[in-house]
Amino acid sequence: MVAKQTILIVDDSEMNRAILADMLGGEFDIIEAENGKEGVAMLQKHGPEISLVLLDIVMPEMDGFGVLNMMNKYHWIEDIPVIMISAERGSSHIERAFELGITDFISRPFDALIVHRRVVNTILLYAKQKKLASLVTEQIYEKEHRSSLMIDVLSHIVEFRNGESGLHVRHVHMLTEIMLKALVRRTDRYHLTQTDISVISTASALHDIGKIAIPEEILNKPGRFTDEEFAIMKTHSMEGAKMLEALPFYQDEPLVKAAYEICRWHHERWDGRGYPDGLKEDEIPISAQMVALADVYDALTSERVYKPAFTHDQAVRMILGGECGTFNPLVMDCLRDCADDIQAELAGDDVQRRNQREVQNVARELHKHEELTASERTLELLEHERMKYTFFASLTKEIQFEYTVTPPSLSLTSWGAEKLGLPEIVMDPFQDPQALTIFDPRDRDNLADALHSTTPGNPVVTYDCKLHVGEEERWHRIIARASWSFEEPPRYTGCIGKAMDIHSSRLQLENLERQASHDELTGLLNHAYAKKRIMERMEDRPDGHYALAILDLDYFKSANDTYGHMFGDQVLKYLADRMRRSIRGGDIAARVGGDEFLIFLEYKDDLEATIDGIYNRLAGGRYENFQISVSMGVVSAAEVGTDYDTLFKRADQALYVVKNHGKGHYRYYHKENALMDKAISAVSPIDGEESAPQAQGEEEQV
Amino acid sequence: MTLKECYAAMGGDYEEAMGRLRSERLVQKFVLKFLDDGSYRLLCDSLAAGDRGEAFRAAHTIKGVCGNLAFNTLLESSEALTEALRDGRPPQPGEEDLIRRVQEDYQRTVQAIRTFQEGAPA
Repeated sequence: MVAKQTILIVDDSEMNRAILADMLGGEFDIIEAENGKEGVAMLQKHGPEISLVLLDIVMPEMDGFGVLNMMNKYHWIEDIPVIMISAERGSSHIERAFELGITDFISRPFDALIVHRRVVNTILLYAKQKKLASLVTEQIYEKEHRSSLMIDVLSHIVEFRNGESGLHVRHVHMLTEIMLKALVRRTDRYHLTQTDISVISTASALHDIGKIAIPEEILNKPGRFTDEEFAIMKTHSMEGAKMLEALPFYQDEPLVKAAYEICRWHHERWDGRGYPDGLKEDEIPISAQMVALADVYDALTSERVYKPAFTHDQAVRMILGGECGTFNPLVMDCLRDCADDIQAELAGDDVQRRNQREVQNVARELHKHEELTASERTLELLEHERMKYTFFASLTKEIQFEYTVTPPSLSLTSWGAEKLGLPEIVMDPFQDPQALTIFDPRDRDNLADALHSTTPGNPVVTYDCKLHVGEEERWHRIIARASWSFEEPPRYTGCIGKAMDIHSSRLQLENLERQASHDELTGLLNHAYAKKRIMERMEDRPDGHYALAILDLDYFKSANDTYGHMFGDQVLKYLADRMRRSIRGGDIAARVGGDEFLIFLEYKDDLEATIDGIYNRLAGGRYENFQISVSMGVVSAAEVGTDYDTLFKRADQALYVVKNHGKGHYRYYHKENALMDKAISAVSPIDGEESAPQAQGEEEQV
Repeated sequence: MTLKECYAAMGGDYEEAMGRLRSERLVQKFVLKFLDDGSYRLLCDSLAAGDRGEAFRAAHTIKGVCGNLAFNTLLESSEALTEALRDGRPPQPGEEDLIRRVQEDYQRTVQAIRTFQEGAPA
């Protein structure tokens, strides 16, 4: 696939952009930005797809220097060449632009041929550089990888022949590295660089290759060696050195040199009593000294046919106590320094992880020092992922978004952007007046809080809220995943997510809830739901003053009989309506059933006045020809407690008495009256077969 | 009126423009496009509103475009005005003359282009 390369033109004058686009449009894809801020957004969006930026200096919102500052801040300037085009002629401007990393400066008025030539040259130059950089990165990586792989293979062959587990080589490698690092912390006597440490540790794996020349029956002899056998065994160090010396190539490689020293002298001792050469003190190269110690430590802590494995502490004590030969006192100090590290590292001997970390370190170092860019292959992979994502995102009808903290920007899928009436990229969305109208600020803050309080292990947040879409507010469910950096401690870097329109299902749900909680005919709460609310209310604030009233429409049966059930329903609706208007804000009104209703209220100190007010607004007058007469029983929680069923029963009892005492008024339940009421209610049934209602004026005194 | 005569009428340099853009088609295209460019309007509006920063940018843009199209008369006056407005400088004596000159030169340029446009092949 040969794609056209993309050039970003950032210039506030449409004329200027058009002239440049015309000059270059044949060979390149052109994207345009009309100020610096938009230019940065484009860079953010298209990233390394952009092969070159043509940048104006004087622009509104953010000028060309602002763009260069951002490109430096986010290191884009390292990958994307910038040619500045400006009518500014002051040399200070030009100088400053070059300091900020531009590749070329073309002053206006410009010549079509020159612009074209310089653009092409710059792009070619960068492409070549990018390719070289990725080649070098990959080769270095490959080389490192291959050589350490070969060394591993080779040393393991030796080990397996030796009947060992293969761990010995790894351990010696790790121990050597740890010890060398400790040594460098203590002294610069040996002039060791980081590279030297890495080379010596890698070479340490080869310390026993000479054993390949030792006859197998001696090498794997279960019992103790005879003197003669031991003499043969001791030749392995010199044999290994000879093998390396015999290599036809690579004699100057630091790795081979280090391996030679290690092979030959890793059995020498500080006091000169080792073999094969009897070197002493610092005649022995430091590489061999370190491997010698590592070799001894690992031999002690491993099980052998002739001995059990010693613990770490025992081994360290034995070495420091001089039981295993004499070592450089400085090296002993290092062992003391890093004894704990050694134990920890060996306990968690996760070689794979270590190697990976190593590779990562190398990669990071390379990146920093050589200013190498991500390899071409990585970019291709990224590009592929981006294409996949864009394709799938374009298929779904969802608002998908990505938010990054630095630079603060919000990107939306094109469908989402259109839906919300926003551009696809919003820089500084928390400052953008248009973006701010999408969310209620409270919802926005809640969501931001929720995302900030996630953890890398549990980063997903679901949040329902209204979004301002088009001309209306619609319910949306936002599912977002916070992004955390890989640092320690992790840093919140933004989030990705989508917003789904759940408006209709939400309304349906609300509707169902409403159906479940409301009386269909009157629209008041139904009894079951009212009871639940009332109980919750009293439970939440048990100290409140509460009262419950139950009321009943007098002569309702005759209304039904005379004018029909349709009319009866109208009357009930009418009364419900009056109830709604009669009660106060926090009161609860409900239809208990039939023509029976309830009102639950909270009062401050004057219950009588409150009840009187409600009753007077409720009763009296007519609906068409039907006289609205209401009987009502009232009980206060102060009288009987806050148990709902008791309240209901007592209020009903009071109502019962009213019904039997001429109707059309109300009455309180009082304990002292209860006995008498009970007697009365026993005598006459409630709501008899009365005829037309009489004027009901009298109210019983309480 | 030919394009060349149009340049003569506005005090521009036709050869220079051709030398830059390398084709008569392009020169003509952008000369006509100049009529739609909003920078002059922006310049007048921002001067009227006392927004000297915005006026500087607008003058600067006019200067840049004129440079590329070799509208040299307007280039000269807009350049002088650009410098007068640079870095939010307070008005100096003589600035009104500079503004008037830009206005006259702009009218002359636009007049020449319009005349050319009427006679130009569609």
